[in-house]
Amino acid sequence: MPEHAVGTREEWLAARKQLLEREKELTRRSDELARERQELPWVPVEKEYRFETDDGEKTLPELFDGRSQLLVYHFMFGPSVEGWPEIGCPGCSYTADSLDVAVEHLPHRDVTFLAVSRAPLGNLDAYKRRMGWSFPWVSYGDSDFNLDFAVFTEEGRRTGKGFNFDTPKHADIDLRNEELHGLSAFALEDGVVHHTYSTYDRGTDALNATWQLLDRAPKGRGDDFEGWPRRRFEYPGRSA
Amino acid sequence: MTAQRVGTREEWLAARTALLEREKALTRRSDELARERQELPWVPVEKEYRFETDDGEKTLPELFDGRSQLLVYHFMFGPAYDAGCPTCSAAADTFDGGVVHMNQRDVTFLCISRAPLEKLQAYKRRMGWSFPWVSSLGTDFNFDFGVSFTEQQQREGAEYNYHPVRLMSILEAGVAADAIEALATDVGTDIAGYLTELPGLSSFALEDGAVYHTYSTYARGGEFVLGFYPFLDRVPKGRDEGEPPENWIRRHDEYADA
Repeated sequence: MPEHAVGTREEWLAARKQLLEREKELTRRSDELARERQELPWVPVEKEYRFETDDGEKTLPELFDGRSQLLVYHFMFGPSVEGWPEIGCPGCSYTADSLDVAVEHLPHRDVTFLAVSRAPLGNLDAYKRRMGWSFPWVSYGDSDFNLDFAVFTEEGRRTGKGFNFDTPKHADIDLRNEELHGLSAFALEDGVVHHTYSTYDRGTDALNATWQLLDRAPKGRGDDFEGWPRRRFEYPGRSA
Repeated sequence: MTAQRVGTREEWLAARTALLEREKALTRRSDELARERQELPWVPVEKEYRFETDDGEKTLPELFDGRSQLLVYHFMFGPAYDAGCPTCSAAADTFDGGVVHMNQRDVTFLCISRAPLEKLQAYKRRMGWSFPWVSSLGTDFNFDFGVSFTEQQQREGAEYNYHPVRLMSILEAGVAADAIEALATDVGTDIAGYLTELPGLSSFALEDGAVYHTYSTYARGGEFVLGFYPFLDRVPKGRDEGEPPENWIRRHDEYADA
């Protein structure tokens, strides 16, 4: 017999139905927060940024590619990432494996999705080919783009401190030297770009469905993250 | 000019930081429910099922492929379908890349459908996926785990998502009937043929050779596998699907510019 409690179908069903009510409540709460995000004020982006893209240099409004909404995944691929300058962050690569084809549906909702990183475009393209991904990926190079969308006060930009809206557990991180992952949203209206939303750290959990799948496996996502997640080709017995 | 309120960076930051607290509470609640799922009793699966797989006929314990946990996505592809359901196909676009990572966590992930194996194989090739996909045709598996329905059940009532449903009764709603008919035509069958299947996700554990059913989720409980929704929940205009929601999801090779 397993160590885990074994029950009858009736016992399971009673417990499962109770849990269902709590799951539904969570879904409703998640819908509510989505509405609250839409109510955040829009902040005009006045600084000009230039990005290296597969189609040459582009400005932030040009990255919208004719759509009115832009989602930027801040993919960690810079000097602070293990494997620099050949390969991107393992955690971001794990998330990219989940979002790669899913984001192809976003343009049909008036949303352009792309990843941005510090590494030069050639390095991004080479790694993308190696991983077999197809999402657009651009380089912000030496510009302040990532810093400007990671900390939002003058003090923060000067010291690099204050990641994830001053969450205490990240107090030691200096964003001037270290890249971290996140997601930022922008709106384009009458030629003006507005920043609408950014999320970091566990705020990006929901963007990777693999976490949610593991949350439904009998033993859950577990708590030993030694050697996992890795880039696909780094798992034992795998070359790609 | 936009109907949206434009604000200063300070105004945004104050509102965003307040929202962050509510987002963190949601994450904690989600973690809590994950723990609660693990506390559900395990129910021994005593019936024997046989599945057609790329490597020949296999039993349920064999589907674990040497791992101790099995996650099954119930992909809507009934015997009468010529192609898989477009929404399940968008889910597959999401989970396909996660399989290798789950395998490293002692979890085997696969899809099970009732269409014959050859149809599943051909469709998988067309869509470019790599997850394992097996056929449960001729077994009770899909019916026992609440995702397949006989025509009699469609007419007289069945249970889906832990609630009684009369699938044919949704057709009386008019608008829904048009949408269902469009989906049925899309997968190459009629309404009765289409409604033999609904989506879901089930989890199983293998211990000392015995398989246990641990969890199943349906309807919006499985929405997280549509990987673009969490992104849409974070864009300026949200999902923006209208009411009733527009059925905009297509197979990735069927969008106008694909």
